[in-house]
Amino acid sequence: MENTLSFSPKTKKQYKWLLTRYPTRKAALLPTLRLAEEEFGVLGIPEMRFVADLMEIPPAFVFGVVTFYTHYRRAGTGTYHIQVCSTLSCALRGSEEVVQRITERIGIKPGETSECGHFSLSKVECLGSCDTAPMLQCNDDYHEDLSLEDVDQLIEQLRAEAAQEGN
Amino acid sequence: MAFKKIFTEHIDKKNCHTLAFYKKQGGYKQAAKALKKWKPDDLIEEVKASNLRGRGGAGFPTGVKWGFVPKQTDKPKYLVVNADESEPGTFKDRVIMEKCPHLLLEGIVICCKAVGIETAYIYIRGEFVFATQRLQQAVDEAYKAGILGDDSLGSGLKIDVTVHRGAGAYICGEETGMLTSLEGDRGQPKLKPPFPAVEGVFGCPTVVNNVETLANLPYILEIGAKEYTKIGPENSPGPKLFCVSGHVENPGTFELPMGVSLRTLIDKHAGGVWKGRKLKAVIPGGSSAHVLTADECDVAMDIESLAAAGTMLGSAGVIVMDDTTCMVDALLNVMRFYHHESCGQCTPCREGTGWLEKIVHRIAHGEGRRDDLDLIVDVCDRMVGKTICALADAAAFPAESIVKKFKDDFVAAIENGGSPAWKKRHSSTVGGAASHA
Amino acid sequence: MPDEKTSVTRWQLNGQEVENPTGMTIMEAAKEHGVEIPCFCYHPGLSIAGNCRICMVESNRSPKPIISCSERIAEGLEIETESDLAVDARNSVMEFQLINHPLDCPVCDKAGECVLQDHSYTHGPDRSRFVEDKNIRHTKELGPTISIWGNRCIVCTRCVRFCDEISGTSELCVVERGDRSVVDVFPGIPIDNAMAGNTVDICPVGALISDDFKFEARVWNMDRRDSVCGGCARGCNIEVETLDGYVKRLMPRENLDVNDWWMCDHGRYGWRHLYSEQRLSTARNARQDLDDREATTEMIQLLSESDKVGFLIDPFLTCEELHLVNSIASSLPGSIVGGWLPPDGDEENFPGGFTISAAKHPNRNGAEQIFGSKVFANDAKRLLTALSKGTISTMVTFHGGPSQDGPGKKWIDAAGKADTHIAFSVMEGDWLNNASLVLPATAPLEKEGTWINEDDRLQRARSCWKPDQHPFSTELVRLQEYQISTETRNRSLSATGIFRELAQNSDAFSGHTHSELGSAGLPLSSPPATVGTEGNS
Repeated sequence: MENTLSFSPKTKKQYKWLLTRYPTRKAALLPTLRLAEEEFGVLGIPEMRFVADLMEIPPAFVFGVVTFYTHYRRAGTGTYHIQVCSTLSCALRGSEEVVQRITERIGIKPGETSECGHFSLSKVECLGSCDTAPMLQCNDDYHEDLSLEDVDQLIEQLRAEAAQEGN
Repeated sequence: MAFKKIFTEHIDKKNCHTLAFYKKQGGYKQAAKALKKWKPDDLIEEVKASNLRGRGGAGFPTGVKWGFVPKQTDKPKYLVVNADESEPGTFKDRVIMEKCPHLLLEGIVICCKAVGIETAYIYIRGEFVFATQRLQQAVDEAYKAGILGDDSLGSGLKIDVTVHRGAGAYICGEETGMLTSLEGDRGQPKLKPPFPAVEGVFGCPTVVNNVETLANLPYILEIGAKEYTKIGPENSPGPKLFCVSGHVENPGTFELPMGVSLRTLIDKHAGGVWKGRKLKAVIPGGSSAHVLTADECDVAMDIESLAAAGTMLGSAGVIVMDDTTCMVDALLNVMRFYHHESCGQCTPCREGTGWLEKIVHRIAHGEGRRDDLDLIVDVCDRMVGKTICALADAAAFPAESIVKKFKDDFVAAIENGGSPAWKKRHSSTVGGAASHA
Repeated sequence: MPDEKTSVTRWQLNGQEVENPTGMTIMEAAKEHGVEIPCFCYHPGLSIAGNCRICMVESNRSPKPIISCSERIAEGLEIETESDLAVDARNSVMEFQLINHPLDCPVCDKAGECVLQDHSYTHGPDRSRFVEDKNIRHTKELGPTISIWGNRCIVCTRCVRFCDEISGTSELCVVERGDRSVVDVFPGIPIDNAMAGNTVDICPVGALISDDFKFEARVWNMDRRDSVCGGCARGCNIEVETLDGYVKRLMPRENLDVNDWWMCDHGRYGWRHLYSEQRLSTARNARQDLDDREATTEMIQLLSESDKVGFLIDPFLTCEELHLVNSIASSLPGSIVGGWLPPDGDEENFPGGFTISAAKHPNRNGAEQIFGSKVFANDAKRLLTALSKGTISTMVTFHGGPSQDGPGKKWIDAAGKADTHIAFSVMEGDWLNNASLVLPATAPLEKEGTWINEDDRLQRARSCWKPDQHPFSTELVRLQEYQISTETRNRSLSATGIFRELAQNSDAFSGHTHSELGSAGLPLSSPPATVGTEGNS
């Protein structure tokens, strides 16, 4: 399998720095996978293979690691990955209603990506923000203390952003 | 001595997370003292004398843990800071890392000096993007100011700190799962012995301490162990962050002396049960703890008192449920979590967590049987104490206690064709109810 | 520190005071006292994973049951393997192992030798309390010879550890987590290494399946014989499994002095030629096919008409066969014995210490013991020279390997110069076209006798044939028939009898007997056993 992927100079530098922070190369695997995900947008088979070859770690080992953790995106997600916390504290304060509202507004169920490619919806386990339940994480940002109106507003805002990006 | 808030006093102030602000409050004075004046053994003795107990969940005496690390070794020693706060109902370490990250860094410096450590890793859960940024900022500031690096605060000692992000796995909050993950592997807990203090990360002696635990250290040095033990009960003293979530008017993190009454915490600090409803159940120490009924809530929030009440302080994540809560649905939620998070290494946990979710799922969805309650308790018995780490116990404790203490909810769901919420969803949207959970 | 090998730890096992060498695990130590503690993930050749939990026992040092595969014995330790706590822990694990297991033993190749099945009989529940749908995991090819039936996988990680620690190829991993976890390969990188087949052997359930053996036989119907692989000079100890006298599967047999618990795939799958269309099974002369009796008669006649005989031996022959050749050659003045060697292959070394020899034959050392160290060198040259000068009237050649090429062009040309050429061969081949007499030969796996491996270890190979199954007379029989015809031998002996003769006539073999070799063999130089201990085998 010919791998045509490569890190940008900036990412290469970050990777080199990572290697200096650990006594073993393998210990840098998790953060390097993050770098690869940021660089390539997804951690599919070629991307995992690239990291394995780069770090001289058996590809199967990388595969085992990537599939163990929930963060690594093995398939592409929408521009906005909406992850609704569904664990107890959020469930007690209406996370299921939040999910339903998003499903109604965008037309996708948890685990799906919208046809336009803008939105993916997931139910996830505890995000450590139980005092501001119900809450969701959209890409890197937390949106907390959500009312259903907040959810509507967020979706509108994301739609507007997406439209602008599209232009 | 009046109770002084050490974590949350300044969290509403602008720039409270910066080095400049922290220094203005007297920050890093204790670290400097520790580096220059204290002998390592004396530091360990002082922390032992303070009776500081780990704030991550197990409540192990911190000084004793440090004492297990071999003094004479040719291997490097490591500190791994457990910032993988992922116990449902817990969000206290996040406050420290976002609002006063330098307090944690100062604690790290003190620990490194006491144990003779040059390298520390802060293993922070991957979801905490903002906290990671704040922490990294603080680390960068500390390097720039010469607090970290080759000559920590001019002491000649080297202290390196690396912020290491997790990637989404509850099990990495478990001490040895965290170490395996830090080594770049699947985050599966390790067999003990050997214990981390002797053979931890990278096969070297390792101290694993929780964020809040380390953040106590500057204050212990500031007021002295003796004064510290006067805050709350003597054998598990100190200021403590309590997280209250669920059905209360004012959920949040509350800094109070160890030993505050659970009732006071809920009614006074968290504003009481929301919407004027009545209390039904409380999980006092993160979702892994045994549940308490409304009648059992006059208990002091400290390690011994909660143990005596048949539950645990754990991570001090208090989850409050009002009288409209169906405990079948609540348990189903908790069981889904543990099933999702079991690493799958040990048979009883891998299979047991999934089985428990399936049984409770059946009950909630109208397919329960009378025998199921005994079956749940029996499956729990078969899981507890039979695995490498405590995740199996963490799943079994709430299951066992919720089924026993709220039997009526389960009997009702079995006899009436499912939990009220499911029945409602099922009747309104047939087919739609089979969604997740 | 005290010397761990010599010091002894006193502990208690099921109420009995016992002693074992310090440092042993509870499981290993208990086994020495006849207490077998069940296990799935533990394998003596691999690192300790401690994940299956079936080996939990009660300890006086812990309120919780402890795992006996990783915890070690200690002074004053009291272990109970049959207490309520221990039994309950074991039974719990068994119930958990079975809830998602498909219980498809009737169609599973592992049935009959399945650890899960065995433990289930002893420790498992007699009915299931699990009424939900079982988890579904993938069934797929992992490599050219191995598939995974994921629903059966109990995630013990033996196979993953094997590929990491023993073969060093790391093709396998566990993917996903919790009860979704299952063994897999990286997409597009199959498990394809020379030791891969061992992963199937060590799988305690029927999750890893050998495509070579799939649906070939129920294991309880097969006959088993302890033998030695003839694929290379390592001489891995194996078990030959046959159905009606036909090989179905080869399995490695534990021998820490030779092959640990492993064998290579070249050896494992290197038996198909026995039943190929190119297998030589009927004797013939230049004119016609011969039946077995006629073939022997003709061989005797051809040999007795010759005065100067050349013998071309090969390194597949057993020490017993070589001894007969030696005896015959010695009785024929002017005869010469030389040897030929098949070309070397690759030597393969693995991180776990396992080695595949470059010499793709089992008994060069045996031949050199019997004929001297020059048999494949100067002696062979002498024979070649004699042939080219026309001083050899009859050639007897042996070819016991799987190749159809014969002993090489120079030998085929040279043999053509003799008046008569008697060729023993396992396989058909063009090189037999000009032979006066072609005799089917036994291949490794069909031979009874001994080989000496590259470490000078004398090991006993056994035949896969059933006692009443004789497709043709073996070399051992035909050579003795000749001796009887020339009255240099009274009666035909078994391989064991021939070996006794060899041991009496050779300093190197002196004192060794078949029965003393047992199934594990002995270094050739080991001190001779007490005379008279030999049984009839």
